[in-house]
Amino acid sequence: MTASLRELQQAFAAGVFEESNTLLTDLRDGGFRAVQHLQIYRNNVFAKLTDALGACYPVVQKLVGEEFFGFLADAYIRRHPPRSGDVHDFGSALPEFVAAFEPARSLAYLPDVARLEWAWHESYHAADAAPLVPETLGAVSPEVYACIVFHLHPSARLLQSAFPCLRIWQVNQPGFDGEPTVNLDAGAERLLVIRHGVDVVIGALGAGEYAMLRAFADGKNLGEAADGALAVEPAFDLGAALRRHVVVETFSGFERLDE
Amino acid sequence: MSPCQTSRAANPIPVRAGIGLRAPHHRELVESRPDAGWLEVHSENYFGDGVPLHYLERARELYPVSLHGVGSSLGSADPLNRDHLRKLKQLIDRIEPGLVSEHLCWSSIDGRYLNDLLPLPYTQEALDHVVARIVEVQELLGRQILIENLSSYVQFSQSAMPEWEFLAAVAERADSGILLDVNNIYVNARNHGFDPLVYLRAVPAARVREIHLAGHTVKRYDDGEILIDTHSARVCDDVWTLYRAAIAHLGVRPTLIEWDSELPALSVLLDEARIAQHFMEHAHDGVAA
Repeated sequence: MTASLRELQQAFAAGVFEESNTLLTDLRDGGFRAVQHLQIYRNNVFAKLTDALGACYPVVQKLVGEEFFGFLADAYIRRHPPRSGDVHDFGSALPEFVAAFEPARSLAYLPDVARLEWAWHESYHAADAAPLVPETLGAVSPEVYACIVFHLHPSARLLQSAFPCLRIWQVNQPGFDGEPTVNLDAGAERLLVIRHGVDVVIGALGAGEYAMLRAFADGKNLGEAADGALAVEPAFDLGAALRRHVVVETFSGFERLDE
Repeated sequence: MSPCQTSRAANPIPVRAGIGLRAPHHRELVESRPDAGWLEVHSENYFGDGVPLHYLERARELYPVSLHGVGSSLGSADPLNRDHLRKLKQLIDRIEPGLVSEHLCWSSIDGRYLNDLLPLPYTQEALDHVVARIVEVQELLGRQILIENLSSYVQFSQSAMPEWEFLAAVAERADSGILLDVNNIYVNARNHGFDPLVYLRAVPAARVREIHLAGHTVKRYDDGEILIDTHSARVCDDVWTLYRAAIAHLGVRPTLIEWDSELPALSVLLDEARIAQHFMEHAHDGVAA
């Protein structure tokens, strides 16, 4: 019986992803046996998707080497095949996948490096927005400051790690020619990834500063953000941290949630 | 005319040679503003709101732009991906492209995407299906689209007509334009053993609004060779010859140099475009001589 278009396409996809040979009954031999023709698609699909992952995760790729990255990508593609014709989101599950990937278990910092690279990727593709204009804060009376919620710029992403991911990221950038050693015991790290114009920048944050921005990202107001920041860093200077982030354009606006 | 159009290059894609714009060339292109007739980009690369779209909008102020889709999966037996088409429509509204094109292929089934341009069997069922889908997409987008022929590495036993007959029938029935990829005709002619001139003569000339040119790779085995459409090299001599035959037969059309992997310097693409431009300007010399 002749396969329907749907059956043919299902057999084709299984032929690529699961290496099933069901499709072969519907293929003609050409210059080569049909199975060799199908193999070209297996190679192309995996090569293109591996390239797409490599474009999002160049540091992970560099850290593990091209061969291991190919092995990792192969497993990831089978487990998390793309769900849309726009491959921007295709690599989103890689950090969690790496964290659970037994062969990479010895590289404890790898999942966090992957998270940093995904944050960079998201920041690069996020919408732009005008920064908060400091003068607009002047219209807010001091007694309601605690009710203000600052909006982070759409490209802002926050991360924390037990490993020095920023340093790992920096020494693995193309053209880096400084001292390449990384002290893996350098201590916990909190990062802000954000885009200014067309440039994505990664900055290190203090514990209080991170807690404050995290609270804003979660929709909490300044009063709650201050409590959170002081809890992790008793000497935290809230006013100075806010001024700094207004100046460096971490915020795109604010709202009062008292009404 | 709306005010936002005033700073833009004219909308129609001119009958000149253009180049495919890829991210590594974004900055250089908008800063150096080289002489290129027009630009084409992969639509999906600009579905985000970030840096790539920023550069595309700047490029659009300088050049006519065409949007070329690689992920609509027109021939899939799955329902159309409305979310994808909504993003494409948004991009069209924003960029106001001179041309919008998609591939005569499928790339997903059961919601799983292979991220590749996969061939259809040339059957009545596939023809009816893809025609209905193109009609639906053209309605959703509110414009005619061009459909591009692709390179393929398999042949289905079910196919009841040659590729050129399928392509012509799709375009006629869906009332779409054709984006004729001359390199793909050459690759398929070599891989599947047909005369590329037979293909060319069967193409309805009036529907061809654009031509693509690219380089391919010859993969050699002990028992033969196969051509892979890698878009990773200069256009080869045989494809230039076929291109000259195409424009002699169809008439000159906006022609694009595509390059996707192992991307060279922007100047190499411009150099290839100059060759195409030269052939366009001398399209009738061979006939006269």
